Amino acid sequence: MNCKDATALIAAYVDGETGRVQFRSIKSHLAACPNCAAEHDGLVALRARVRAEVPRYTATPALRARIQATLDAARQPAPARRRNWFDRLRSAVGGAAPGARAPAASTLAADRSRWLVGGAMAGCAATLLAWFVGTAVTDWRVNEDLAVEAVTSHVRATLGHQLIQVASSNQHTVKPWLSARLDYSPPVPDLQTEGVTLVGGRVDYVDRHPVATLVYKIRDHNIDVFVRPESARAPPSALRTVRGFNVAHATGSGMDWLAVSDLSSGELTSLVQRLARDDSMAKP
Amino acid sequence: MSDPTRFDALVLPHLDAAYNLARWLTRDTHDAEDVVQDACIRALKYIGSLEGGDARGWFLKIVRNAFYDWLGRNRPAEVVNDENEAVDAAVDPVAISPEQAAMRKAELRMLADAVEALPLQYREVLILRELEELSYKEIARVADIPVGTVMSRLARARGLLQRSPLLYAVNGQVTRSAR
Repeated sequence: MNCKDATALIAAYVDGETGRVQFRSIKSHLAACPNCAAEHDGLVALRARVRAEVPRYTATPALRARIQATLDAARQPAPARRRNWFDRLRSAVGGAAPGARAPAASTLAADRSRWLVGGAMAGCAATLLAWFVGTAVTDWRVNEDLAVEAVTSHVRATLGHQLIQVASSNQHTVKPWLSARLDYSPPVPDLQTEGVTLVGGRVDYVDRHPVATLVYKIRDHNIDVFVRPESARAPPSALRTVRGFNVAHATGSGMDWLAVSDLSSGELTSLVQRLARDDSMAKP
Repeated sequence: MSDPTRFDALVLPHLDAAYNLARWLTRDTHDAEDVVQDACIRALKYIGSLEGGDARGWFLKIVRNAFYDWLGRNRPAEVVNDENEAVDAAVDPVAISPEQAAMRKAELRMLADAVEALPLQYREVLILRELEELSYKEIARVADIPVGTVMSRLARARGLLQRSPLLYAVNGQVTRSAR
């Protein structure tokens, strides 16, 4: 094994992530090569220091209690207990005897009044729970839908005046700026000759990953174009409208292209397709 | 086994791991608690989809997702954080004076500070690897990235720590600072 091969594997070796054969050949290389041995020792020393000096935080008893309370609230109480509790509440609040209402009253009505009374009495806990569950459900739904997320990013950036982090109409300025901040290098097509002005770029989080966002202008319309490596997942539909914004999708140059704008759907679709198959970056 | 029972048996044992990850991602005690609470509610809701296997990885992935959603809602500026600035701050020798370094040395927080200064993407793989001791494959699943990316981010995180002035790095090697 030479140093080049060894260097690539030293970290995996230290992490115990090499196979048995690899393990032996690295071990013998380390015994023979002072440079690689030094690198190995450096990693081992770093690991020792990290484990000794970087604290592993633990949940406090207060947090455990808070979680427990949330979970208890989320769990449905046993029906018998709930009935008693409900009856007690009703007699306390309404003054009516528990048996006053016909036992045959519809479950729905009973459920509803139980919720109403419970809500009034339990106040905080129930409201908080509803809020937490509500946000969890909303987040879930929103994140399932890339188009909605892209529009949200677009609106957030527009409202927060964070549309552009690197302002440049030069593709050779925008591209390296983005590449330096991402683990991939997005193409930055220049369509100036076709009336599309590149105004800059930024990095957004979409689908929980940092994504290159190119900002173009056609006339006075801002266009956000989210560019990320083509994924194996089913692509979003080619064109959608979300909260009044058009969202158009295309694939090309090994990337997924998602454009968001208030530009007309036809124009936006045509733009995203031209961007995706553009090869101006390849030209000198 | 009912869902709440499953939750107690499979998820609660990993509450410390969840909190540790959230704490290093948010860099704040209270924010970390909010993220963990959100993650617990999601975990209880979706525990039906957990089929035996790796409950810790499953839960940590939920914590991470809850964190990124929280980040988008609460610190959008950090979401679009200029990563290179963070990198520069982590390795810039003039960012911290020798006097400051000497003072902080006494506090024994230097390495922890250096980890805290790492850009988010590198910090998360480092914490999962060194503190939670997850394998490359497990980290890949939690962070939703390929194993190759785990390795390159880990190498970058370690490289940044070794070059950090907080660590008295010499020729890429970590030397133990005198205590």
